[in-house]
Amino acid sequence: MDINLLFKIAAIGILVAVLHQVLVRAGREDQAMMTTLAGLVIVLTMVIKEISTLFDTVRTIFNL
Amino acid sequence: MELVKIIGIAFISVILIIILKQYKPEFAIYVSIISGILILSLCFTQLEVVVNLLNSIYEKTGINGEFLKILLKITGIAFLTEFGVSICKDSGEAAIASKVDIAGKITIIAISIPIISSLLETVMKILP
Repeated sequence: MDINLLFKIAAIGILVAVLHQVLVRAGREDQAMMTTLAGLVIVLTMVIKEISTLFDTVRTIFNL
Repeated sequence: MELVKIIGIAFISVILIIILKQYKPEFAIYVSIISGILILSLCFTQLEVVVNLLNSIYEKTGINGEFLKILLKITGIAFLTEFGVSICKDSGEAAIASKVDIAGKITIIAISIPIISSLLETVMKILP
Protein backbone atom coordinates (compact mmCIF):
# COMPACT_ATOMS: atom_id res chain seq x y z
CA MET A 1 0.00 0.00 0.00
CA ASP A 2 2.41 2.68 -1.14
CA ILE A 3 3.47 4.72 -4.08
CA ASN A 4 4.14 1.88 -6.50
CA LEU A 5 0.48 0.95 -6.51
CA LEU A 6 -0.14 4.41 -7.96
CA PHE A 7 2.48 3.80 -10.64
CA LYS A 8 1.07 0.35 -11.38
CA ILE A 9 -2.39 1.79 -12.06
CA ALA A 10 -0.98 4.58 -14.21
CA ALA A 11 1.07 2.03 -16.17
CA ILE A 12 -2.00 -0.14 -16.76
CA GLY A 13 -3.90 2.93 -17.91
CA ILE A 14 -1.26 3.94 -20.42
CA LEU A 15 -0.86 0.35 -21.61
CA VAL A 16 -4.60 0.03 -22.21
CA ALA A 17 -4.65 3.34 -24.05
CA VAL A 18 -1.82 2.22 -26.33
CA LEU A 19 -3.42 -1.18 -26.91
CA HIS A 20 -6.69 0.52 -27.70
CA GLN A 21 -5.04 2.73 -30.33
CA VAL A 22 -3.14 -0.19 -31.87
CA LEU A 23 -6.23 -2.37 -32.12
CA VAL A 24 -8.31 0.48 -33.52
CA ARG A 25 -5.67 1.14 -36.19
CA ALA A 26 -5.64 -2.59 -36.98
CA GLY A 27 -9.33 -2.38 -37.65
CA ARG A 28 -10.50 -4.47 -34.63
CA GLU A 29 -12.65 -1.99 -32.74
CA ASP A 30 -14.49 -4.66 -30.75
CA GLN A 31 -11.28 -6.21 -29.41
CA ALA A 32 -10.07 -2.72 -28.54
CA MET A 33 -13.22 -2.25 -26.49
CA MET A 34 -12.61 -5.62 -24.82
CA THR A 35 -9.08 -4.73 -23.76
CA THR A 36 -10.23 -1.40 -22.37
CA LEU A 37 -12.95 -3.11 -20.36
CA ALA A 38 -10.52 -5.77 -19.16
CA GLY A 39 -8.06 -3.10 -18.03
CA LEU A 40 -10.84 -1.26 -16.25
CA VAL A 41 -11.99 -4.37 -14.39
CA ILE A 42 -8.47 -5.26 -13.27
CA VAL A 43 -7.83 -1.80 -11.91
CA LEU A 44 -11.29 -1.74 -10.34
CA THR A 45 -10.54 -4.86 -8.29
CA MET A 46 -7.31 -3.30 -7.05
CA VAL A 47 -9.05 -0.04 -6.16
CA ILE A 48 -11.86 -1.82 -4.35
CA LYS A 49 -9.34 -3.76 -2.27
CA GLU A 50 -7.70 -0.47 -1.23
CA ILE A 51 -11.05 1.15 -0.45
CA SER A 52 -11.99 -1.76 1.79
CA THR A 53 -8.71 -1.42 3.71
CA LEU A 54 -9.44 2.31 4.13
CA PHE A 55 -12.91 1.61 5.49
CA ASP A 56 -11.52 -1.01 7.89
CA THR A 57 -8.92 1.40 9.28
CA VAL A 58 -11.53 4.14 9.69
CA ARG A 59 -13.84 1.67 11.43
CA THR A 60 -11.16 0.56 13.84
CA ILE A 61 -9.98 4.10 14.62
CA PHE A 62 -13.39 5.65 15.17
CA ASN A 63 -14.89 2.31 16.36
CA LEU A 64 -17.85 2.91 14.11
CA MET B 1 8.75 14.52 7.31
CA GLU B 2 5.34 12.94 6.81
CA LEU B 3 3.98 16.10 5.21
CA VAL B 4 6.74 16.17 2.59
CA LYS B 5 5.87 12.62 1.58
CA ILE B 6 2.20 13.50 1.31
CA ILE B 7 2.87 16.54 -0.85
CA GLY B 8 5.16 14.49 -3.06
CA ILE B 9 2.50 11.84 -3.55
CA ALA B 10 -0.06 14.53 -4.36
CA PHE B 11 2.14 16.09 -7.05
CA ILE B 12 3.00 12.74 -8.62
CA SER B 13 -0.63 11.71 -8.79
CA VAL B 14 -1.64 15.05 -10.28
CA ILE B 15 0.90 14.62 -13.06
CA LEU B 16 -0.20 11.04 -13.66
CA ILE B 17 -3.82 12.17 -13.83
CA ILE B 18 -3.00 14.85 -16.39
CA ILE B 19 -1.24 12.26 -18.55
CA LEU B 20 -4.04 9.74 -18.24
CA LYS B 21 -6.84 12.23 -18.77
CA GLN B 22 -5.98 12.74 -22.42
CA TYR B 23 -6.13 9.06 -23.34
CA LYS B 24 -8.32 7.26 -20.80
CA PRO B 25 -10.27 9.50 -18.36
CA GLU B 26 -11.57 6.45 -16.43
CA PHE B 27 -8.09 5.64 -15.15
CA ALA B 28 -7.62 9.25 -14.02
CA ILE B 29 -10.43 8.77 -11.50
CA TYR B 30 -8.81 5.55 -10.27
CA VAL B 31 -5.48 7.30 -9.75
CA SER B 32 -7.18 10.11 -7.81
CA ILE B 33 -9.02 7.62 -5.58
CA ILE B 34 -5.87 5.66 -4.87
CA SER B 35 -3.81 8.76 -4.09
CA GLY B 36 -6.59 9.95 -1.76
CA ILE B 37 -6.54 6.63 0.08
CA LEU B 38 -2.74 6.66 0.24
CA ILE B 39 -2.58 10.16 1.73
CA LEU B 40 -5.33 9.37 4.24
CA SER B 41 -3.65 6.19 5.40
CA LEU B 42 -0.39 8.08 5.85
CA CYS B 43 -2.00 10.61 8.19
CA PHE B 44 -3.99 7.94 10.09
CA THR B 45 -1.06 7.14 12.36
CA GLN B 46 -1.11 10.62 13.89
CA LEU B 47 -4.89 10.49 14.04
CA GLU B 48 -4.72 7.27 16.06
CA VAL B 49 -2.47 8.93 18.64
CA VAL B 50 -4.98 11.77 19.06
CA VAL B 51 -7.91 9.40 19.44
CA ASN B 52 -6.10 7.29 22.04
CA LEU B 53 -5.22 10.47 23.98
CA LEU B 54 -8.87 11.53 23.92
CA ASN B 55 -9.96 8.13 25.16
CA SER B 56 -7.48 8.13 28.03
CA ILE B 57 -8.45 11.67 29.09
CA TYR B 58 -12.09 10.67 29.08
CA GLU B 59 -11.45 7.59 31.21
CA LYS B 60 -9.52 9.67 33.75
CA THR B 61 -12.22 12.32 34.18
CA GLY B 62 -14.94 9.70 34.59
CA ILE B 63 -17.51 11.49 32.46
CA ASN B 64 -19.48 8.72 30.78
CA GLY B 65 -17.50 7.80 27.66
CA GLU B 66 -20.68 7.16 25.74
CA PHE B 67 -20.75 10.73 24.39
CA LEU B 68 -17.13 10.49 23.27
CA LYS B 69 -17.98 7.31 21.37
CA ILE B 70 -20.78 9.10 19.57
CA LEU B 71 -18.55 12.08 18.84
CA LEU B 72 -15.89 9.81 17.37
CA LYS B 73 -18.51 8.03 15.28
CA ILE B 74 -19.75 11.35 13.93
CA THR B 75 -16.22 12.38 13.01
CA GLY B 76 -15.66 9.08 11.24
CA ILE B 77 -18.88 9.41 9.28
CA ALA B 78 -18.10 13.00 8.31
CA PHE B 79 -14.64 11.85 7.30
CA LEU B 80 -15.90 9.14 4.95
CA THR B 81 -18.73 11.25 3.57
CA GLU B 82 -16.30 14.01 2.67
CA PHE B 83 -14.10 11.41 0.95
CA GLY B 84 -17.01 10.19 -1.20
CA VAL B 85 -18.31 13.67 -1.94
CA SER B 86 -14.96 14.99 -3.13
CA ILE B 87 -14.37 11.97 -5.41
CA CYS B 88 -17.84 12.37 -6.96
CA LYS B 89 -17.33 16.11 -7.43
CA ASP B 90 -13.96 15.52 -9.05
CA SER B 91 -15.47 13.24 -11.64
CA GLY B 92 -18.10 15.88 -12.42
CA GLU B 93 -21.08 14.20 -10.75
CA ALA B 94 -22.28 17.01 -8.46
CA ALA B 95 -25.75 15.45 -8.13
CA ILE B 96 -24.42 12.19 -6.70
CA ALA B 97 -22.06 14.16 -4.47
CA SER B 98 -24.95 16.11 -2.94
CA LYS B 99 -26.91 12.86 -2.39
CA VAL B 100 -23.97 11.34 -0.54
CA ASP B 101 -23.69 14.54 1.47
CA ILE B 102 -27.36 14.40 2.48
CA ALA B 103 -27.04 10.72 3.40
CA GLY B 104 -24.05 11.50 5.62
CA LYS B 105 -25.90 14.28 7.40
CA ILE B 106 -28.91 12.03 8.00
CA THR B 107 -26.76 9.28 9.51
CA ILE B 108 -25.03 11.81 11.74
CA ILE B 109 -28.34 13.13 13.02
CA ALA B 110 -29.62 9.59 13.52
CA ILE B 111 -26.56 8.71 15.60
CA SER B 112 -26.66 11.86 17.70
CA ILE B 113 -30.24 11.26 18.95
CA PRO B 114 -29.10 9.99 22.41
CA ILE B 115 -27.10 13.18 22.94
CA ILE B 116 -30.06 15.37 22.08
CA SER B 117 -32.40 13.43 24.37
CA SER B 118 -29.99 13.55 27.31
CA LEU B 119 -29.52 17.29 26.71
CA LEU B 120 -33.28 17.76 26.91
CA GLU B 121 -33.43 15.79 30.13
CA THR B 122 -30.75 17.93 31.78
CA VAL B 123 -32.56 21.09 30.66
CA MET B 124 -35.82 19.78 32.07
CA LYS B 125 -34.11 19.08 35.40
CA ILE B 126 -32.72 22.62 35.60
CA LEU B 127 -36.01 24.31 34.81
CA PRO B 128 -38.31 24.61 37.85
